[in-house]
Amino acid sequence: MALSTHTTSSGYLLPSIHSAPPFFTQQPNSSTQAVVTEHWTRIILGYARHRRLFFLRIEDAEVAGGDWDEVFRNERINRRLLPDHLQTILASMAGKSQAVYEPPKQTRAVLLYWRRPEEWAEVLHTWVSSTGHMNTIMTFYEITDPPVESPLSGIPEVLLRKAIAILAKTGRAQMIGAADGDGVRFFASGGK
Amino acid sequence: MGTNQSVPKVTAQDSAILDLKLQRDKLRQYQKKLQVVLDREHEIAKAHLAKGDKDRAVIALRRRKYQQSLLLKTDGQLENLEQLVSTIEFSLVEVSVLHGLKQGNEVLKEIHKEMNIETVEKLLEETAEARAYQQEIDDMLANNLTLDEEDAVQEELRELQALAALEDPSKYAELPKLPDAPTQEPVAPISNPVPEEESRSERVAIPA
Repeated sequence: MALSTHTTSSGYLLPSIHSAPPFFTQQPNSSTQAVVTEHWTRIILGYARHRRLFFLRIEDAEVAGGDWDEVFRNERINRRLLPDHLQTILASMAGKSQAVYEPPKQTRAVLLYWRRPEEWAEVLHTWVSSTGHMNTIMTFYEITDPPVESPLSGIPEVLLRKAIAILAKTGRAQMIGAADGDGVRFFASGGK
Repeated sequence: MGTNQSVPKVTAQDSAILDLKLQRDKLRQYQKKLQVVLDREHEIAKAHLAKGDKDRAVIALRRRKYQQSLLLKTDGQLENLEQLVSTIEFSLVEVSVLHGLKQGNEVLKEIHKEMNIETVEKLLEETAEARAYQQEIDDMLANNLTLDEEDAVQEELRELQALAALEDPSKYAELPKLPDAPTQEPVAPISNPVPEEESRSERVAIPA
């Protein structure tokens, strides 16, 4: 069977390696497996960015019908990614800070870093300044669920908090605690 | 969170605004929930109707209507809250504008203190004096040239002009004076025959 790239129904272009049956099997040789893992990492992060998916669970490889079917199942060659294999890949990704276990202290769900928290911090700051929200107090809900779609729509609060913490370190953001929920205030640059 | 020294302190005002905004967000979330309920009741009514259970469909629709009225009410409340938030934020802007005006006023006062009218007048007077003095010096220097020297200067100027004319005659050469073109139609000269006899009076030999 000739290997060829494949465009999924959501418009994501899968590389030709995705049509190779051995790609779906865990390789006994560790160096071969490292290459496979690297390819899988690239596909997972690329697909997550494409569909704006933030979380990946082992369950996504176990049960069909989730967001990840297009990637973890290849009906054309009748192969699917096994949960154990996915767990290995996730462990490798967590080791390279391409993802973190979320919630921590378990290994069945990860928060994907298709943008590093530092990059998210910049995206956040740029968005705040472009919408003129500098120096005003904002709630998290306002950022994650703005009335107008933004690059931050749907960002998980954990990730948002990390990005804000990074901005706070350089004096570009300030957390404000209140009785029922936190708020944040952004500044144009470090210090006033 | 790392409370940096450079960031302003969180005032009671700030927390109040944050509280308001959180309330607003809660209302928005509540509306979202209501919307979901509305859609669900609609589905339920449809399903009952499909089964032929008209009474249950009516009950579902009634519930839906009630939720709808709630949604409208929250809309009003949300508007109130948002207005309040906007008013507060606008007042904050006004406060900062006032602060800016105050500071500007202070600076202007400082500047004016250094620059009262007397000093300006004195300064202008001194300037005028200095100018007059300079004018005097100029005049004196100009008068120092004797008449002979003045003539020599004029002569030099003429030479320079002649030289320039040689280099670029077109610019300096004076055009020869030409007669003006006639502006009237030429008319045939009116012959004014003078009787020759009169002028050339025949010499008549006068007998001696």
